[in-house]
Order: sequence, then structure tokens, then C-alpha cells
Amino acid sequence: MSGHGTKETRSGTIRTLVGERDKSFWTALFPMWSVLLGLAAGGLLMLLLDHNPLKVYGDLFSYAFRDIYNIADIFAKATPLILTGLAFAFAFRASLFNIGAQGQFYLGAVAAAACALAFPQLPSIVLLPLCALAAALAGSLWGGFAGFCKARFNANEFLVSMMSTYVAVAVLDFLVRGPLREAKGEYPQTDVLAESAWIPSVIPGTRFHWGFFLALAVAMIAWIILWKTTLGFRIRAVGRNRRAARFAGMNEQRIFIAVFLLSGAFAGLAGFMEVNGVQRMVVQGFNPLLGSEGIGIAILGNAHPLGVVLSALLFGALKVGGILVTQTSTIPSSIIAILEGFVMLFVVLSYWLQHRIAAARARRRASEGGDFR
Amino acid sequence: MEFSAPRAIALRGISKAFPGVLANSDVTLSVGEGEVRALLGENGAGKSTLVKILYGLYQPDSGSIEVDGRTVSIRSPRDAMTLGIGMIHQHFTLVPVHSVWENVVLGLAPADGRPLSRGAAAAEIDALGRKYGLEVDPFARIDQLSVGMQQKVEILKALYRRARILVLDEPTAVLTPGEAENLFSFLREFRASGNTVLFITHKLAEVFAVADSVTVLRGGRNAGDFLVRDASESDLVTCMVGRELLLTEGKPADSRGNVVLDVRSLSIRGDRGNKVVDGLSLSVKEGEILGIAGVSGNGQEELADVLCGLRIPESGEVLLDGRPIRPGIPEAAFRAGTGYIPADRHREGLVLDMTVEENLILKNLSAYSRFGFLRMKKIRGNAERLIKQFGIKTPSPAAKVKGLSGGNQQKIVAAREIEAGSRLLVAVQPTRGLDLGAADHVHRTLLDERDRGKAVFLVSTELSEVLKLSDRIAVIFRGRILGEFRRSEATVEKIGMLLAGGMGGAA
Repeated sequence: MSGHGTKETRSGTIRTLVGERDKSFWTALFPMWSVLLGLAAGGLLMLLLDHNPLKVYGDLFSYAFRDIYNIADIFAKATPLILTGLAFAFAFRASLFNIGAQGQFYLGAVAAAACALAFPQLPSIVLLPLCALAAALAGSLWGGFAGFCKARFNANEFLVSMMSTYVAVAVLDFLVRGPLREAKGEYPQTDVLAESAWIPSVIPGTRFHWGFFLALAVAMIAWIILWKTTLGFRIRAVGRNRRAARFAGMNEQRIFIAVFLLSGAFAGLAGFMEVNGVQRMVVQGFNPLLGSEGIGIAILGNAHPLGVVLSALLFGALKVGGILVTQTSTIPSSIIAILEGFVMLFVVLSYWLQHRIAAARARRRASEGGDFR
Repeated sequence: MEFSAPRAIALRGISKAFPGVLANSDVTLSVGEGEVRALLGENGAGKSTLVKILYGLYQPDSGSIEVDGRTVSIRSPRDAMTLGIGMIHQHFTLVPVHSVWENVVLGLAPADGRPLSRGAAAAEIDALGRKYGLEVDPFARIDQLSVGMQQKVEILKALYRRARILVLDEPTAVLTPGEAENLFSFLREFRASGNTVLFITHKLAEVFAVADSVTVLRGGRNAGDFLVRDASESDLVTCMVGRELLLTEGKPADSRGNVVLDVRSLSIRGDRGNKVVDGLSLSVKEGEILGIAGVSGNGQEELADVLCGLRIPESGEVLLDGRPIRPGIPEAAFRAGTGYIPADRHREGLVLDMTVEENLILKNLSAYSRFGFLRMKKIRGNAERLIKQFGIKTPSPAAKVKGLSGGNQQKIVAAREIEAGSRLLVAVQPTRGLDLGAADHVHRTLLDERDRGKAVFLVSTELSEVLKLSDRIAVIFRGRILGEFRRSEATVEKIGMLLAGGMGGAA
């Protein structure tokens, strides 16, 4: 069908992100090639800075896996990234863009900290779930606002969620300078949380905390929702063909709200992880890139929960190794952000390439006059 | 029956295949200088494909094109323009926020590298407008102009590029009768200056209003060439539809039961707020196919939308088995037992990126879930049953629908909707874009469902399809039923009259 062909062509790169994963061996390796190309491009940059990229990468990976502390740190760094990655990936399955994971993360963090500071006397077994719940709820409501605007006013969810992050930053600023400010009143930050509000470590003496497994469980839940429930079925149907979903009697407005409530909850939980698991307090403007890194991780992970987990671990390793390399050499620390940027760039390019290959294949089939497969 | 004048364009032996569809097969067409030729045929007859080949939008699989007696190769619209061919598309290609003159000169850089002169362009547009009766203010913004004026701008665009051969794809589809008359007088004027026109239509009245000659296509092949002065309406309709297709298939339903669908004085406003269905009433009984014949755009699509809960009517009501259906809720129509085979299955009937089994339960999720969780085994079982029952060719129930052929995609929609439509099946252009084999399968399926006692509401702009399947035929024109025939009484001639604009009596 000619109509089929044009639709393919028009759908463009972004849509192929969640598209059919080709069964062929080479295309399955595309994300890997993108990572390697990203590293190669970063290497070229290092050459220009007069550093031997092979040595830098060698150091980076040997640092990242040097001792148990660093390896554990990879998991600690990956934990919130899994959640913000899931936040973007989940909404993306409904063809919605949640660009506001950063804001949802901040409000989740504040809610978790406020809970912990309000009830320091509670035992861990009660306090931790309470903090987690508060964080998820805060992120969920903040994300749900973007979903509501989309459903009620057909507002662009990309813009609303993005702009709502700035509001969330301001709310965080206000709280750590006002009601939640530390007792000393010196810095814009909260007091250290009571020990009962700390997520216990998996390996004592490291930052690898049990929150990582909670993040894995959340990834699992996201997968179950998407592929095993009617809600997920509707999300995917609305995401891939809104019109057909409406013809089938699905209410897309409700889906928009549900997706953003869940997506926001994932990002909010990242706040719980960072506050109760790593920072043990809230500091003004902490982890400012978690949301945007989540977008890259979701894209690298093909918006699939398992892919998100693996990509988050890769980014975690890059961060741990990268920080140590830049601390122990004269390489500027921004090289890590540039590396991440290159990897994301090549991931997006690889989707474009896959799309071109698929389109060429369809054309060849069409010109042979044959039927579609 | 060739014109004696030298040929401006000649297409010889053009064939073009798309996957699953042979759009043009060995088509020959020529238009002489100073001639207006109509290209007539039903939807899917291959008219648009043919002119798109002439304009370089498609490349033919075989055949040759001559312009002014020289064999040419037209690789792109730019080549076509260079040869003096201009095309007016059915959907305009104007930039709405730009002015008329900016749209006219769009893409034209002066050959000598001078900057575009706004004054000179506007003056030339004015001159062309005066010459051909296409006066438009060159500085008006496109989105402030009526549709008829916008079409004038499209024509001016072609004339500004020195087009001597104008190709128009269903130019009156979007025009009011007055605007259409203006267009025809322009075409006469244009021909009088020795130019050439080829226009696509499926309205007979237009052929007689403006054309010198007509080429009829049917099923992608030449069906006949006529000089308009020698042809009658019934000649053309017969040629368009083909007599051999009048043979009926399946046994005509004689034992009709109760009224299933009852539409009472329904009025519907279209997307642009205009009244598209006006006080229409009709009914369909058990074991009966009611075919709605009509030229596309006469309200039949909106009518089908209302039946399926996709559009809220302005007034009137729809009853199924005597009970009114709450308007505007697809779920309500579905629960009452309405199945819907939409015209555009890619956009409306299927989620191409989901699997066969998922698409088969798209409408009836609640029957395949428990406590919000999908019942995978039941879903798979349903898919395996329907794949077998409807002969859907797919590598697996878990294969994505977008990898299947058009015919098999249509089978998925049909399978799902036949299951859903326990009482009524609404089918809109159910065979659009399908090859003959697949279309025949859809037809047999509809007849089978009729024989099982369902009411079938069939909308088709292809008269041959309506005649072949329907027990009763209603002709729709501008949102009203102009006439209703039992199949035994229906003739191509009678229906053709009503289709063409409604002379002849209403039954």
C-alpha cells in the first residue's frame, strides 16, 4: 500500500525509538555501536586536548571497577537514573513527552525529607515506606498536573512539564531557605535526617543502598503495567495510534492523566532514593541533571524498562570512572558530560539510520511489486 | 475517436503497481492541443495515479510519455513544469500565512540572479488574472481567502510558470456550484487560447459541462474513449461501472425480519460547521444490506460516524432494535451490537505497531481482562480462532500488523468488527485499496453476515460495489436520500442520474 509507505517516511526518527526492534543481528547491536562511536568521538576530543584517549578510557574503566567501593558506587549512581529514565520512557510509550522529571524528582525529594524531618522518632520500618510514599505522591501530583493540562486544555505536555520544573526549583529554593532550613540557618539546606530515615546499605561502608532493588522492582512494575494490564494496552494503543484508539472507544484524556501520574511517581521516587539513600538531606540545587540524563537513558534503552536499567548502569559507570579520571588528571571534568552527550547523539543517529534502512527495504519490496512480507 | 489536432500529451501503455494493487495497467491516454479532456472513473480506478505519473510524482513501471510529440522522461514535478505542465491538486499546496504573490513565486528564483521584485510579480499576477478572469488581490493573505479563491491562486501559480497544459485532480470537489461555474468558464477561456486541459472527475455533469472528450478508466485499465458530443450519460455510467459486474452474487435475502437500525430525521454538522446530513431517515432490517451510493463528500462518512458513536448529531436519533443509542459514545454503539469497518483502516481501524492478537481485541478489552490484567491465554485463543476462521495470513498471532498485506490487515479489522457487531455491521469503503482477490473476500464476508441475519449498512462511492452487494440501494446527495431502490428495480442509469446531481424522481 502506498499509504503505508508514506506513513513510514513521515513518522521520522523519534517514532522509531519505540518502534519494532528488528530481529536481525546487526540492528540489535545498534545501541552498542552508538556507545562505541560516542566513546570514539569523545576520544577525538581528548586528542585535541593532548590526552591519549586509550589511556584515559583505560583509567576510566579501571577506576570504575578498581575496588568494591567504586563498583558499589556505580549502582548508587544508577539508582535514581533508572527512575528518571523510566519516567521518560513510560510517558514516551504513550507518545507523550515528560520533560519535567527533574521537577518531579525535586518535589519527591522535598516530600521525602519533610516526612523524615517531621517524624524522626518513627522506626525505619514505618518511616522509610512513608517517605517513599510521600515522594512518589509528590512527584505523581506534580507530573499529573502536566497530564491534566494536556487532557483538559490540550496544552502541550512537553512545554508544561518542562516549565513546571522551574516552578519546582523555586519551590525547593523557598523551602530550604524557609520552613525546612537547617537549624543553624547557615546554608540553604535541610538538617541531616535522623538515622531511622536512612536507606540501609547493601554493602556496609559503600553508598550502594537497598533502593537500587526498589528501582529494579519499579522497572519490573512498569514493564508489567505496559504489557500485562489493560491500562498498559490502552497506553500503547493511544501512543501508537490515537485515532484508532478513540475509534475503539478509549478515552485518551484519562490515559494522558494516568500516564503522567505514574511517570511523575517514578521520578518522585528518585527523590526518595537520593535523599534517604545518599544525601541524607536536601541541598539547594542538588543533582541538577538527573532529569535530562533520564531522557538520554530512556532513549538509549529503547524506552524499554530493561533497556533503561542497563543504560542507567552504563551511565553510572561512566560517572564513577569519569569523576576519578578528571580528579586524578588534567582532563576537564566537563568531558564526562560531553561523552554522555556524544553517546546520546549517536543513539539518535542510529535510530535515524535504522529507519532509513527499514524504509529502503520497504521501497525495495514495493519496487519488486511484492507484498509486504 | 482521436482528436485531429496535434497531440499535446500522449501516455502510452502506462503500468504502475503498488504492493498488492495494480493501479494502472497498460493505460493509454492522449489529449490534443486546445482540447479539454475529462478522465472519468470510480474511486480506485487509477485516475490519480495516472496524472501523478504525468506530473512526475510517480515513475511508471512501464510505458512512455510524449509531450508535444517528443518522448520525454518526467522524473519530478520540476521536469513537468519545464515541459509546460501545471497541476492543480485536490488538496492545495499553499502557505496559509503568506500572501498570494509570495505563494505564486514560491520556489522560483529569477534566472539572472536578480532579487525577486514584488512589484513585477504582483503586476504579472494582476495581468494574468485579468486575462483569464482569475482576479485575486496579490497582497491578500491565503488564509483570508475562500476555498474558491485559493484554487484561483493555485491556477495562477501554474500560469505564472507558463503552463500550457493544466492537469486538475477533482477540481470541483471543494467548490460551491457558483465557484465551479467560474472554474469552468476559466477552463473554456484557457482552451480558447490554444491550451490543453486534463481533469479528473467522477461527476458526469462536469464532463458534459466543460469537456470535449472523455477517457474512462475502470480497475486501472482503459474502459473507453468518447467524444462528449456523441456520448450519453448512460454510455458513460455503463462504461465506468462495467456491465459484467452487475451480476449479483449470493442469494438475495427474501426473508427479512425486524428493523434493526432505525435512523430518524438525523441532522449532522460537519467539521466546518456546515450541515452535511439534513433530516435524513432510513432503516435496515435483519438479513438485509442497505447500500448507500453517492459521490464522496455528500454526508455518508459523517452518517457512519454517528452510527458508531464517533460524532454527535445536531438532531434526530439512532435506534438499534428499537432502543435509542446514546450519541457520541463509541462504547455505547459497540455494546448495542454495532461493528464498524472504517474506510481508513490504517488510521482508524488498526494500531499498526501492535500485534495481530492485540488488534483483534482492541475494542473489547474488558472481555479479555480480569482485575485490570490481560488474560494472555484467552487473547491468544481468540486470535488463533479468528486467524483460522477468516484466513488471516500472518506468521504468528504475536506479529505486528504493519508487516501484513493490505488484504490481511483488512481481514483483521473485519474479523474484530464482525465479532463486535452482533446486530449491525457498518462498512465504509470496505474494499478501498484492496486488490481484486482481497476485495472479493470482503464482499463474501459481508454477504455471509447478511445471510446470518445481521443488518449491514454499506457506504461506498463505487457504484459497482453497491450494486453488487445491496438488497436495497439509497442514493445520497448533499445529506439527503434522493431515491431508494430495491435491487431488482435498480439500474445503473437510474442511479447515475441521481448521483450526477439529482434530476429524476425520488422513489
